[in-house]
Amino acid sequence: MNSLAQRFSTTSPLAHFRKIQRLADEDEDVSDAAWGSQAGFGSLTKGVPTFTVPNLPDPTAFLRLHTDDHADPNCRIKIQHGTTTLAFRFQGGVIVAVDSRATAGSYVASGTVKKVIEINPYLLGTMAGGAADCQYWETYLGIHCRLHELRNRERISVSAASKYLSNLVYGYKGMGLSMGTMICGWDKTGPTIFYVDSDGTRLKGDLFSVGSGSTFAYGVLDQGYRWDLTDEEAQELGRRSIYAAGHRDAFSGNTCNLYHVKEDGWRFIGNFDISKMHYEGPGDVPGAPGGGYGYALRVEGKSSANPPVAEAAA
Amino acid sequence: METSFAITGKGYVLVAADTTAARSIVKMKTDEDKIKILSPHLLMAYSGEPGDTIQFSEYVERNIRLYQIRNTLTLGPSAAASWIRRSLADSIRSRRPYAVNLLVGGYDTSSHTPELYWIDYLGTLTKIPFGAHGYGSYFALSLLDRYHDPEASLEEGIATLKRCLDEVAKRLVVSPGKYLVKVVDKDGVREIEI
Amino acid sequence: MARRYDSRTTIFSPEGRLYQIEYAMEAISHAGTVLGVLAKDGVVLAAEKKVTGKLLDLSSTKEGGYGGSGEKIYLLNDNVIGGVAGLTADANSLVNYARTAAQRHLLTYNEDIPVELLAQRLCNLKQGYTQFGGLRPFGVSLLYAGYDPHYQFQLYHSDPSGNYSGWKATCIGANNGTAQSLLKQEYKDDIEVKDAIGLVLRTMSKTMDSTTLGSEKLEFAVLTLDETTKRPKAKIYKPSEIDALLASEGLMKKDEDTEMKAA
Repeated sequence: MNSLAQRFSTTSPLAHFRKIQRLADEDEDVSDAAWGSQAGFGSLTKGVPTFTVPNLPDPTAFLRLHTDDHADPNCRIKIQHGTTTLAFRFQGGVIVAVDSRATAGSYVASGTVKKVIEINPYLLGTMAGGAADCQYWETYLGIHCRLHELRNRERISVSAASKYLSNLVYGYKGMGLSMGTMICGWDKTGPTIFYVDSDGTRLKGDLFSVGSGSTFAYGVLDQGYRWDLTDEEAQELGRRSIYAAGHRDAFSGNTCNLYHVKEDGWRFIGNFDISKMHYEGPGDVPGAPGGGYGYALRVEGKSSANPPVAEAAA
Repeated sequence: METSFAITGKGYVLVAADTTAARSIVKMKTDEDKIKILSPHLLMAYSGEPGDTIQFSEYVERNIRLYQIRNTLTLGPSAAASWIRRSLADSIRSRRPYAVNLLVGGYDTSSHTPELYWIDYLGTLTKIPFGAHGYGSYFALSLLDRYHDPEASLEEGIATLKRCLDEVAKRLVVSPGKYLVKVVDKDGVREIEI
Repeated sequence: MARRYDSRTTIFSPEGRLYQIEYAMEAISHAGTVLGVLAKDGVVLAAEKKVTGKLLDLSSTKEGGYGGSGEKIYLLNDNVIGGVAGLTADANSLVNYARTAAQRHLLTYNEDIPVELLAQRLCNLKQGYTQFGGLRPFGVSLLYAGYDPHYQFQLYHSDPSGNYSGWKATCIGANNGTAQSLLKQEYKDDIEVKDAIGLVLRTMSKTMDSTTLGSEKLEFAVLTLDETTKRPKAKIYKPSEIDALLASEGLMKKDEDTEMKAA
């Protein structure tokens, strides 16, 4: 399975020279000429595609250092480590909600990470897995989305943008990339979400959650989800679901960033402290039920005891 | 994958456990009862290492009966759970420990209170309003944080339990097919259809 | 004749008796009186102290600790008070055993030991000494005043043979016969603690040999339920509290000296 990587990791001077040459004009994997011509199959006409790899004798060994290979040698990819992200489609657009915690092992490296990448005013990408990978490649995706706009005089569809990213990361399959992302936006077809990960999976759907806290988010999200949710209800559901994950998953938490994508592009709804949501609630925002989300607060004063009526009166 | 849930409500504890007995990739049996009735007001859902589960649950069952016979008194849910915890705590420090996880639900007839205890094979014991073991817990706990009501009627409790089972059926790759549900309240223990 | 069966506890006499046990019981009937009354909302325990004297250092019993002089009334567990009659040294050993048994129960079951179970634990031990050779039985009878959620307030008595029984009101030690017949006359079902305290003190004052009834001759304890926590609350009175109680009940037999001073 490493044969592909091996091809690029020879240490002979010639191979090294070629690599440097390749890096020199690295701006694109596929030449411009392919775009807009040959029915979009331009890349196939050039024979073997080329990929950018770390400029080192052994890129797989290098990448292994930067993945949690040591934890499980069979798992080359450190996807979904310490994150909760979610996105869902509904009558009023797309809701995107994420937490803001970054962990390194058991250490909380940061509590203020921006896990929603604003690709352009109509496209959002979420970040799970390797932060650097997501940040770099989704920014890179933004560049190509803009180029698409300039070249074709219209915005790129969510489908096309996600496909571009999917193809791109598939090219690096097995080399240690680690991403689990949702590309969300509004295009001619309406609100759209695509799930794209570094295995090369690309799925269209109404509702996704990615990351170590995703199961906890799903638990709340699935049960509260309807297509005809109002905008306020939908925003509340996204917020409540991220809270659930932040509360139950040790690798997620700190704050929740909430976005709402509508026909005229995305809008940042706000940043909500998860502890605050637990004890006091999200504050005076549309859709908030008032009061904290915490279980103990919700059931305060309630009791499962069931004494006979006479005894209860006494 | 083995999954069990339990929730308390107004005057009762509901306990649900899947009914599959699996070995390797094969389902050996699909109607296995993994909820043991320990005494007239005590239930125990068990999961874990095959063999250990049966051995340990029967050991618990017989010891709780023995206490009853010796002392004429019945162990309350809290005392029984504490005894079980200690057995597992002793076991984990032995040559071959039992690998069994438990949900112990009971009705305390003297205080008229339903009680639920979560116990794992390491000997951890916590009293909880709701709980789960296995992969199902990853989906059910956040759901129950949101929907559990300590004062829910039995019908409402069953509806909440169904939410959990539906969520696991929807999201868990290897979700169990069937569940067995038992309830314990002031009238004792009984199996219910859901 | 009896001689031949005296020296070993394990041997029955031809009449089918265990003399050592009977002697132990006899020893107890000379010991300080211990009296218990079970009320609707608590249990009351009182005991007559035998070891007294002007030179006895009682400073440690005046304050600190959980109350009591440590001669007759002991706290066995949060929910059980024990009153002992008989050999004090043997009693210390049994009290220690009872406390350990109660703690062991707490450790395995995380709940207070049921009162009857604690009585049973001690009786199993005591019974062992009626059967195995070369050992002397415990010369101690006990009263257990306790509470548990199974049977609420309870009063038990156990003797050196290992027998135990539950009572509404009972007495062990010197003059226990008189005390019991007094209790039989005066005890009413549904008695409340405040009345039981009076009953206990009155009976004690009639039973005790001494002319004075005061903290130097009396130990006193009450087990009730705490209003707020609903947990058993064992109170063993300190000397000053006993005197105050006797005064409020009008049972303080005036010391001759103080009487003269007052006059």
